[in-house]
This record gives sequence, structure tokens and C-alpha cells, in this order.
Amino acid sequence: MAVNEMPGGQFFLAKLDDVARWAQSSSVWPLTMGLACCAIEMMTATASEYDIARFGSEVFRASPRQADLMIVSGRVAQKMAPVVRRLWEQMADPKWVISMGACASSGGVFDNYAIVQGVDTIVPVDVYVPGCPPTPDGLLYAVNLIQQQIRQGGRGGILARA
Amino acid sequence: MPSSQTPPAGGTALDPTAVRPDIDDARIIRVTPAEIRATLERLKGEGFAMLLDIGGADYPGREPRFDVVYHLIALTSGARTVAAVGKPERVRVLCGVPEADPTVPTMSDLWPAADWAEREVYDLFGVHFSGHPDLRRIQMPVEWEGYPLRKDYPLRGPAREKTPRPSFALKSNVAAGTPASGRTAAALQRQIAAARGQTPKDDAK
Amino acid sequence: MTASAGAPAHGLEVVDAGDGRMIISMGPQHPSTHGVLQVITELEGETVVRADPEIGYLHTGIEKSAENLFWTQASTVIERMDYLSPLSNACCFIMGVEQLLGITGDIPVRAQQARVLLCELHRIASHCVWLGTGGIDLGAISGFFYAFDLRERILDLTELSGGARMHPNYLRIGGLRDDLPEGFLRKLDELIAMYYPRMRELRALLQKNPILQDRMIDVGILGADDAIAWGITGPALRATGVPYDVRRAFPYSGYEQYEFDVVTRTEGDAYARFMVRLDEMDQSMRIIEQVRKKLETPGPVMIADTKFAPPPKETIALSMEALIHHFKIVSESFRVPPGDVYQAIEGPRGELGYYIVSNGDNRPWRVRTRPPSMYNLQVLKKIAVGEYIADMVVMIGSLDPVFGEVDR
Repeated sequence: MAVNEMPGGQFFLAKLDDVARWAQSSSVWPLTMGLACCAIEMMTATASEYDIARFGSEVFRASPRQADLMIVSGRVAQKMAPVVRRLWEQMADPKWVISMGACASSGGVFDNYAIVQGVDTIVPVDVYVPGCPPTPDGLLYAVNLIQQQIRQGGRGGILARA
Repeated sequence: MPSSQTPPAGGTALDPTAVRPDIDDARIIRVTPAEIRATLERLKGEGFAMLLDIGGADYPGREPRFDVVYHLIALTSGARTVAAVGKPERVRVLCGVPEADPTVPTMSDLWPAADWAEREVYDLFGVHFSGHPDLRRIQMPVEWEGYPLRKDYPLRGPAREKTPRPSFALKSNVAAGTPASGRTAAALQRQIAAARGQTPKDDAK
Repeated sequence: MTASAGAPAHGLEVVDAGDGRMIISMGPQHPSTHGVLQVITELEGETVVRADPEIGYLHTGIEKSAENLFWTQASTVIERMDYLSPLSNACCFIMGVEQLLGITGDIPVRAQQARVLLCELHRIASHCVWLGTGGIDLGAISGFFYAFDLRERILDLTELSGGARMHPNYLRIGGLRDDLPEGFLRKLDELIAMYYPRMRELRALLQKNPILQDRMIDVGILGADDAIAWGITGPALRATGVPYDVRRAFPYSGYEQYEFDVVTRTEGDAYARFMVRLDEMDQSMRIIEQVRKKLETPGPVMIADTKFAPPPKETIALSMEALIHHFKIVSESFRVPPGDVYQAIEGPRGELGYYIVSNGDNRPWRVRTRPPSMYNLQVLKKIAVGEYIADMVVMIGSLDPVFGEVDR
């Protein structure tokens, strides 16, 4: 983001896009899409030791209308798949998706009838986080990657690995 | 090498309770669907006030095919001290249910705890509980077909039974190396042989 | 009333109860349902007339997966059922298999002590999550941070011994994977030292808090007779006055050696369940302190029988026999004699049981879980009637369900 200071020192100039992306990346509010074990590590990432709030994700919104980021944390069962899709559709643009954990990314240890083999078969995913469950550090890095993608504009690189 | 997630071959004529008298974890009673209701009512009257669990098991190749397994414990609400609770007796009632008519009377009027447990046995094994107030699927979506925990139901579900493993192979260039892609060692051999103008070996596919 | 009662509400259906009643779907995505639960609630104004919990949104097919994994591998998926106290699930399953193998008496004492230690640590960790999230549901957000910090210290110990914070797969059929590492006991002492002041803080924040008491006392009352009829076990049962604890009634893994109280209350409301769990955490720490002293004594942590126990890594390079045993155990596991067993432990939620059937093969034939959370959650159908919709989260929180276990 290019910042030019005018003489007199009380104004600076930047592109509106850059300012908007800076604002968006600094306040990515996740949706509470906690499904299974990864949800507990996601909650731990909001607790004091890891503290996702210092990256701007101050609140997790329960309503998809108010959230920017869907962190699919946990295994997606057959019954839950249409719910995940509906919630993603209800989120307003721009929105991003983190697929947290092995189960959300590819079905994980559960290659069976009951689990959707990767939430990217249902919603487009921006960042995949490996782990079963990933440590909260991994989730924080994924949020950082999302922030990078936002600042670069567009959806950034695909399959950005956390 | 037998890998994980391949189902074992064949069924078994196992009657599990006949085999291990040395494991003394519960009194074991085996009944038919005609006797189950009377047996459980009698046990409830004898002090087995708590129904711990109702589960199912599938023994294809055995007649009767299914087992509906009831676990009871002699725990009553009158016991108010640890000494009064003591070591309550456990009982395991196994009801052999034939495949031709997989029906068992419901216990949900005797124990409200039976409600969801019986729905789950219905959902995953296909055993009907006659008299149940609301027998519908509980774990699988309502429109699901098939009974997943039966032994003849494929682990990965009928839709994905024959697709390559592991499932992430479909998403990356790992798929290029699976038989479905055509790029196998045998195909490569044929390619090489063709390039050299030789006839390919007979045993290559 | 139109629309079938309890049909999953993710189809677009307009339901009208007629007669002024409203049907709402609480969940399956909801900040306060402690997981993926849908409660289809029929309301008369603010009062719940009917509550129909709808489960299955996390059905993972763990039992079927376990049938397709070796005995040594099955505990990896089974750990993922009750994901708040994973080692408890593994411990119960492994003890069941050990009964089928007939080696229960041969498990080394140190392995039993470590199992007790880790199960009690995970009980406290699970109650920390319950306490923190239960507080958040009521708006008591500070308690969440204190409770999760305590849980972090426990997860540090789990990571130190097992290698992972959650799902460490540290327990093995026959004992443990390897001994507790150096520095573990020192870190455990640090945890014990910080536990009591932290619990005092948590109690000061929550226990006598008038808002919390107002919201929990006389909410979701469950009587002892109903609890027995609905198959309730664990803190929810003990809060009605029945002191049934599997650790006392059917001691396993050496629990008969440790002194602890079975905490009970009689009121049966949400506050009673709250107090039972808080006091239970203290009793768990009491057990941990007793085990800590016993762990000073070194000893083996795996049975000597190499049919089940992989030989120590150092011997594999030197002995052909050790190499073969290791190869066989890892590549095709051992065979368990045919039979069935029901093994129960006292999990954080109640009596967790596994009904394990073997047909003599190297894979389980059937692993049926007796899920305490499923039975505890079912009683919501009864206790929610007549309460306010705002109390629904209080009741669900006080029953403490984990959906990995309810749905499996």
C-alpha cells in the first residue's frame, strides 16, 4: 500500500482498494462453524494463550450475514453437508473459507460412507490446514495467509498451505 | 499387505456369548424376539431399573442374522449412598433377529431411554421396532438408502465403493499413477515395446 | 400441526403450528449448542412446549471404520469420539480388548497408574471446556479464559507424554507406547501447584455469582426416578442424588487404591450439575496427587508378552525374532480370541461403555459404543418442557453433550 504524505503532514494518499483491503484483512470475523475436535482447537485459538483477537478476529459471529470467514473445523457428515453449503451461500461477499484439519480438507482418517471427503467438494476453499487436529498455531498461520490473500487482492494463490 | 479400511472377507457363524465363560462382565441371557418383551419386563421387575444401552450386531451367514443387545444394570433411584449402590449386577440380553423378518417389540414404553437407541439400531441395521412411537432415521439423512452398519454395506458407501483410494488421489496428480488413469507400468511397457517395434508380452493387459 | 415433527429443517419448509405456537429450529449451527445439535422447539410465547433434539449431524461411521482397522489401529478412530477427553475413550476400548485377550491381570502397575493419571487429567480438561463454554453461554466470558488456560497446562502434559495435544494415541493394548518422559513429573507438579489457586479464582468468578445462580437454580430439574428411567449416568445422575460412579462400583486400572469422594447433590437442577462437576474436578486432582506419588517408582509400562507388545526398538536391529514380532504386529496385528465383552469406565459425561465382539480375526467384528452423552442429551426432551427458551442453552450446557460421542 503506497502512502504519500502531503506537505503540511496531515493527509496521506492511498488507493481506495488498498485501504479497503487493509481494513478487511485487519478485521476478518469468522463464522462459528465448529463441527468436531478441530472446533476445540479453534476455541483454544481464541483463548488467552494463542489469542486470535490480536490478528483482528475479535469476535466469532454466529450469523453468516455478519461473518467474513468460514472456518470449517471438523469432519463434515452427510447430514451436515447441505447445512454447510447453505451457510456459505448466506455469507455476504467477500468471503473466505479455511478448511481446518485433515477431515475438512480430505476426509482425514474417515474414508467411509459417513464423511464428505473434503469440504472443497461443497464450498470453495482458500486455505487448507493440515493436522488432526492442527495446533492453534496452525490455525493462526492460516488466518495470516488469508490476510495476505486479502491484501494481495483477489483470491490469492490457490492451495496456499498453512 | 492387508491395509486398513478393507473389509474382512466372509461372514462368520459366531455366537459370541457361547465362547468366553471366563469373562465375567455380565449375566448373559439369549432370547428370541417372541420372548424379549417378557424377559425385559421380568428383569425390570427384579430390580434392573436402568437400561444402559441397546445396540445391534450383524452376523451374516448365521441364522438369525442380527443380534439386538440390551445392557441393563440393577441400579435404582432409592440407592442414596455409595455403599447402597455397591456393585450393581449387570445383565446382557441378546435377542437374535432373523433377516427374513427383522422385527422386535419396542421397549420405549418401559424405558424412555430406549427411544433413540432403537432408532439408531433401525437406522444402521434395518431392524424394525414394532410399537415405537417415531421410528425414523437418526444418524443418516432421512432419505438415505441402505443400512450402513450391515456387513454387506461397503465401508465407503455404494457411491464410492469402487473409486480409487485414497480419496485425495482424485484431486491431485497422484491420480495419474492409479490404474484408472491408464498410466500404469504395464501400459508403459507396451508403449516402449511399440516404440521399438516389438510385440508386447501376452501377460500385459 | 402441519409438517412432521422433527423433520430436519435444512429443507426449505414453512411450518406453522397453527394455534399461535411457533416452531423454531435451534441449530445445527448455533453458538451455544455445544456442537452440531438441532433442537426443534415448539414455543408458546417464550415457554417451550416441546423440544425435539435432532442429532446425526456429526455421524462419522467410527464404529464401521473400527471394524475395518486392526485391533492396534482401532483406538485411533475411537479416540475421536469424545474429543474433549480422548484418552478416556482409548483407555476404555483398550481395557475391553485386554479382557478379551485375558491379559488384564498382566498390565504393569506403572502403566495402570499412568492410565489413571491421564484419564483424570483429561476429565479435568473436559470439565474445563464445559465450564468455559457454559460460562460463555450465560455471558460469563472471563471464566472461559481462566478455564482454557488450565486446560492448556493439561494439554502440555498430554503433548509431552503422547506427542500430540489432542488424540495422542498414547495408550496401547498391553500398556503404554513408552514411558513417561523426563521432566513429566516436574511439569505435573507445576500443574498441581497452579490448580488450586486457579480453581479458587474460577469459583470466585462463577460459583457464588448471583447472575449465574439466578440462571441455573431450579432450571432443568431432573428427578432421580426419571434419571434412572432415561439412562442418565455421570454428573447428571449424581446431581439427582444417586451416587453411581463406575470407578467405585466396578473399579478398573487400580482405582480401588485411590481415595476420592463420589460427589452428589440432591436438587437435580442445572446448578446442582454445575456444582457436582466443579467438585468432581477437585476430586480428580486428589486422585492425581495420589498417583503422582506412586509414579516415583520406575517400572515397565508394557507387558512382556511380545505377541502383543512390539519389542523395544533397540532390540530390533539385533534380534531376528524381535524384528519379526515387530513386523507382524505392525503389518497385521495380533488375533484376539472370539467372544464378547462389555467394558465400562467413568468418563467425564457418565458411563462410557464399549461392547466389543471378536470373531478371532485381527480386526474387531463389532464395536458398539454406549455413549453417555446420547442418553444424557435425550432427557432434554423431558426437562425442557415448561422452561423458557432462554434456559435451553443452560440446560444443554448442564447436560454437557459431546457430539462426537452422540453421533459417532
